[in-house]
Amino acid sequence: MRYALLVYSDQSDWDGIGDEEADARRAESMPRWLTLFDEMDKADPDVAGKELVAAAEAKVVRVVDGETVITDGPFAETKEQIGGLFLTTLPDLDEAIRIASLVPAAEYGSLEVRPIVER
Amino acid sequence: MTLSLEATFREEWPRAVGILSRVLGDLSLAEDAVQDAFATALERWPRDGVPRSSGAWIVATARNGAIDRIRREKTFARKAELLARLEDVPADEDADVSSIPDERLALLFTCCHPALAVEARIALTLREVAGLQTPEIARAFLVTEPALAQRLVRAKRRLRDTGIPFRVPPEHLLPDRVPDVLRVLYLVFNEGYAASAGEVLVRRELCAEAIRLAKLVCVLMPDEPEAFGLLALLLLQDARRDARVGPDGELVLLADQDRELWDAASIDEGLRVLGRAESMRRAGPYQLQAAIAAGHAEGAAPEVIAATYEALERLDPSPIVRLNRAVAVALAGDVEEGLGLIDGIEGLDGYSYLPAARADLLRRLARNDEAAASYREALMLTDNAPERRFLERRLREVGG
Repeated sequence: MRYALLVYSDQSDWDGIGDEEADARRAESMPRWLTLFDEMDKADPDVAGKELVAAAEAKVVRVVDGETVITDGPFAETKEQIGGLFLTTLPDLDEAIRIASLVPAAEYGSLEVRPIVER
Repeated sequence: MTLSLEATFREEWPRAVGILSRVLGDLSLAEDAVQDAFATALERWPRDGVPRSSGAWIVATARNGAIDRIRREKTFARKAELLARLEDVPADEDADVSSIPDERLALLFTCCHPALAVEARIALTLREVAGLQTPEIARAFLVTEPALAQRLVRAKRRLRDTGIPFRVPPEHLLPDRVPDVLRVLYLVFNEGYAASAGEVLVRRELCAEAIRLAKLVCVLMPDEPEAFGLLALLLLQDARRDARVGPDGELVLLADQDRELWDAASIDEGLRVLGRAESMRRAGPYQLQAAIAAGHAEGAAPEVIAATYEALERLDPSPIVRLNRAVAVALAGDVEEGLGLIDGIEGLDGYSYLPAARADLLRRLARNDEAAASYREALMLTDNAPERRFLERRLREVGG
């Protein structure tokens, strides 16, 4: 079964911190990311994962009455924004939940496990 | 349907649905095939007699029916795969039922998967594992048949669409998942136990169903102390069912219950099952609750009951458990300490039993003005007529 694992976190946590602080944070969580990548490779060698540029940089596109309307993102005033995603084929939901719980962001943000519709 | 056929069907339903779901990975398809097999049985058995091994007959007939159904399907890739998997299902109508792989525990874990809503888990478990019919479940839960049928359809769709596995969870997931299964059985029991007078008969069956399922879980997980703890708790509570409601529908407190109305056989069985749980030397919340119920049934010293509550609170520090412990401590003689424990409880705002229990302890300490204030607070929180009558009587006693 194919799953999208959507990574959500509060990106304002990273606003206004210096490069040094940002690097330190990344270094701190690195071992857990490496564990995750190991486990993911074992579970699904074809897993695809991408980090997204901050939601503040997003452009929101709508077509209203035939007119293309572009606004700055993020489009909703929710605290947590999607910051990345994985696409992976796993045996079942239990395994998808296990992998999702290994994503470091699950501790300071949340992971959404969404099965992909197969037609 | 004659009674014996109905009983056979209920017994064989989870076994047949279990093995076919396991093999096909599709609960709806498995159900359809077993339903067809039952229809065939209904037609033939009264004419030809019940087969020697009714369980094996149903599995073999359902298997053949599934093959026919799949052959009629359009998508070829899936068809070939499913037909190949069905080769693994025993096709011998006369085989001993013990030769058929028992997948009932996998069925139960699947129906109680935490990715399903709790109502869905309950409905699915009663339908698939207890083998109840949709109208029976709808009646017991006071919902319409279409609503219940819809709930089942949605749950089965979710099983399929989200990839909920059909299996007994691996060792590392069991500590999380066993409580989920036991909780569903406990909720089924409570749904029947909490029924008010008018609806008692139909809902009483839910208690019997929960006990039957708990026994099945004990058979299937003979090394799981909490399964036995739960079964003991259900048996001991069920034994007191007739005594706990008075002639006017009011709740009768344990201390005031007429023990003649307790079901002695059920208490004996509960105590035996509790002994089995305790012999495994791993106490869990159900086992401790059963020990408390057993203590009440056997007239244990209040200190013993208070100590068991303390052990329960260590495992389950929920506000309700803490309130019960506080009352037990007071009953064991230390009313001041019980009161202190009650005053330390947070998270029960709006729950009338808290001020009612507090009022009762204040009354026993002869702090009548404070007791009256707490009785009034409790009265503001409940609409239940028998409970209100009780509180108003006590309020007058303390001169409020």
